[in-house]
Amino acid sequence: MLVLLAAGCGAAAPSPDRARIDLSARQPLPARYDQGIMPLRVSVAAVISPRGTAESYQPLLDYLSAVTERPVELVQRRTYQETNDLIESGEVDVAFVCTSAYIAGHDEFGMELLAAPEVGGESVYYSLLIVAADNPASSISDLRGKVFAFTDPMSHTGRVYPTYLVHELGETPETFFSRTFFTYSHDDAIRAVADGLADGAAVDSLVYDFALERDPSLAKRVRVIHRSPPFGIPPVVVSPNVRPQQRAILQNVLLTMHETPTGREALRVLGLERFTLIEDSAYDSVRYVTAAVGTLAQ
Amino acid sequence: MIYALTQRLLDRLWNIAGTVNIRVKILGIVLGLVFLLGLAVTLQVRHLLFQAMYTQLGEQAVAFTRDLAARAADPILINDLYALHVLLQDTQRNHPDVVYAFVVDPDGYVLGHTFNGGFPQGLLSANTVTSDAYEHTAILDTSEGQVWDTAVPVFEGRAGTARLGLSDRQVLRTIDTITGQLLLTTVMVSIIGISAAVFLTWILTRPILDLVGATQAIGRGDFSYRVKRWANDEIGKLTDAFNIMSAALQKAEAERVEREQMRAQYVHGVISAQEEERKRIARELHDSTSQSLTSLMIGLKALEDNCQQCRRQTHVIELRSIAGRTLDDVHALSVQLRPSVLDDLGLPEAIRRHVADIQKRTALDIDLAVTGLDTRRLPPEIETALYRIVQEGLTNIIRHAEAQTASIFIEYSNDKVLAVIEDNGKGFDLTGIQQQDGHLGIYGIKERAELLSGHVEIESEIGHGTSLYVEIPVPADEIHNGRH
Repeated sequence: MLVLLAAGCGAAAPSPDRARIDLSARQPLPARYDQGIMPLRVSVAAVISPRGTAESYQPLLDYLSAVTERPVELVQRRTYQETNDLIESGEVDVAFVCTSAYIAGHDEFGMELLAAPEVGGESVYYSLLIVAADNPASSISDLRGKVFAFTDPMSHTGRVYPTYLVHELGETPETFFSRTFFTYSHDDAIRAVADGLADGAAVDSLVYDFALERDPSLAKRVRVIHRSPPFGIPPVVVSPNVRPQQRAILQNVLLTMHETPTGREALRVLGLERFTLIEDSAYDSVRYVTAAVGTLAQ
Repeated sequence: MIYALTQRLLDRLWNIAGTVNIRVKILGIVLGLVFLLGLAVTLQVRHLLFQAMYTQLGEQAVAFTRDLAARAADPILINDLYALHVLLQDTQRNHPDVVYAFVVDPDGYVLGHTFNGGFPQGLLSANTVTSDAYEHTAILDTSEGQVWDTAVPVFEGRAGTARLGLSDRQVLRTIDTITGQLLLTTVMVSIIGISAAVFLTWILTRPILDLVGATQAIGRGDFSYRVKRWANDEIGKLTDAFNIMSAALQKAEAERVEREQMRAQYVHGVISAQEEERKRIARELHDSTSQSLTSLMIGLKALEDNCQQCRRQTHVIELRSIAGRTLDDVHALSVQLRPSVLDDLGLPEAIRRHVADIQKRTALDIDLAVTGLDTRRLPPEIETALYRIVQEGLTNIIRHAEAQTASIFIEYSNDKVLAVIEDNGKGFDLTGIQQQDGHLGIYGIKERAELLSGHVEIESEIGHGTSLYVEIPVPADEIHNGRH
């Protein structure tokens, strides 16, 4: 009994690890100080989710940091437009942007092409119309009255091209689909279709291949019902404010990347073969489709 | 030393336990048991609850922080500080025990927090986690009580660290509530226990109290009392044994009473026969012997008067004197045996004459007082008894007391008659007398009084005289007005 009593009395809360902290005694947080060395600020458009981006671009960023001997900072934003704004204001030096974002940036403030990835020997990509694996739809017309997931308002493959397809049927997405929504990234759009949240979505073929490679189970849950004509691949761009010397260094790093083992590894992680030079004219087909749809940038 | 102390403590405990009655003992046992059990269970449950709930609290803190870290990754990566702020606010709002939540970037700068106006000093450095760890929890002593501060790396530390503080207020509240409930239950069970104990005590003590009552009844002489048998247990057996004993006692008492009655009848018979015999002898002496003596005296008188030979005359006178004395003696003997005055004139007069007779014969100064019997007469057996008692008492005084004075006081009042016979003689040792069964004088007095349901008390001390008190009840309907 005494033992029991002693045990009962000893049942107290665990003792604290450290000295007492007064939660009501508050102080302003210190301001962020600027680091001495200006990091190379790289932005990646939200083609895939922020975490996916951070993971897959990390080897590339590490490579850039090692070659340029500067710290590299990854800057991400939710929308393409926000990224374009950062490029225009010079808050980022290099950006991996979406095709339509490049066209908008080029037309609005002279965004400059630095390089383009090459996949399968080509610098093109496609918009893929996908539905759930058990969905009997075979073309865009079968998705009438269904729920459709767009990626980003500015995405060429995820928003502009499917809108173009709907326009060709003489409709607008607002009337053709029962409901549309934005996922802000292509991998989320694939998951939205796989999970049945949306009946259909249009995604970047590079992202699609990449996502299937990372998660093979997705292949059983979604299928492609339409493939667009080739479009100019999303490029690497620089702000027009970047000094030519800096621009040349960065271009050289990217173009020679596939020649070193670490560079090749970083490319492999991204599903790319190498970076190559690209002309603005490579995006004329995109411009055509965009013009047919009208200005969608918000 | 300790043994002695323990022994003393046990003795005191036993003394206390011994003085309280069974009711209190049983109540004490029940209450003590319930109380100890309730207390032990409460403390044990409290102890287990403390362990379980604090473990749970720690797990909860980790789960909340992991969730926060997972959801904070995207807003941090895309620099959406407003979304981060909303996420932190929601986390705190959805979990009332979350005292605070904040997110630190990899460089150690706070990106967002739930505090208003500034950030608590020392909190940021109070807990850290390495980027490859699952979590790290520190228990902080804060102004809002103990806080489980959990740090979880966001996006493997690349997006910083999520920190969350979980208070143990709810845990303590819950434990206190459950403890209170348990104590309440204990009190309620105690109440039920008391009721049960009271009932049990009643069941247990009822036959015992019955037995006590029966014992007291037997003590008073009532052997007819029987104890009801309540149950077939030890007490039931005791009841049986008691009832058998009562029956045996009742039978023995009946036999004793019968024997006593027989003895009383016998004594009564002896006394009556004695009285009758005395009466007959007295009558015979008076009627026959006295007449013969009187005739003899008349003859002697005639002989004396016609004396021829005067030489013989003197001899005849002498003979007549002897006959006269014999007649007086016979008369006195007759009176002593059975004074006819007792039958004819009643007790007061009979005693008065007896006293006068004694005073004629001895030097004893007797003071006689009789009250309450002027106009009424007692029943004959009481009169005879009192007369004989006074007679015996006076005889004793004359024979043994060596007294100068004696007093007799007889009073009738309140349906009883009291007789007190006192002397200023040498007295005697009462203990010696009472053990002397052979002393017939006092035995006779007692016997006579007790036959009439009366009783006798004797007070005596050597050198200080003797007092004899006799009290005899007189049934009211046996009082006779006037004379027989």
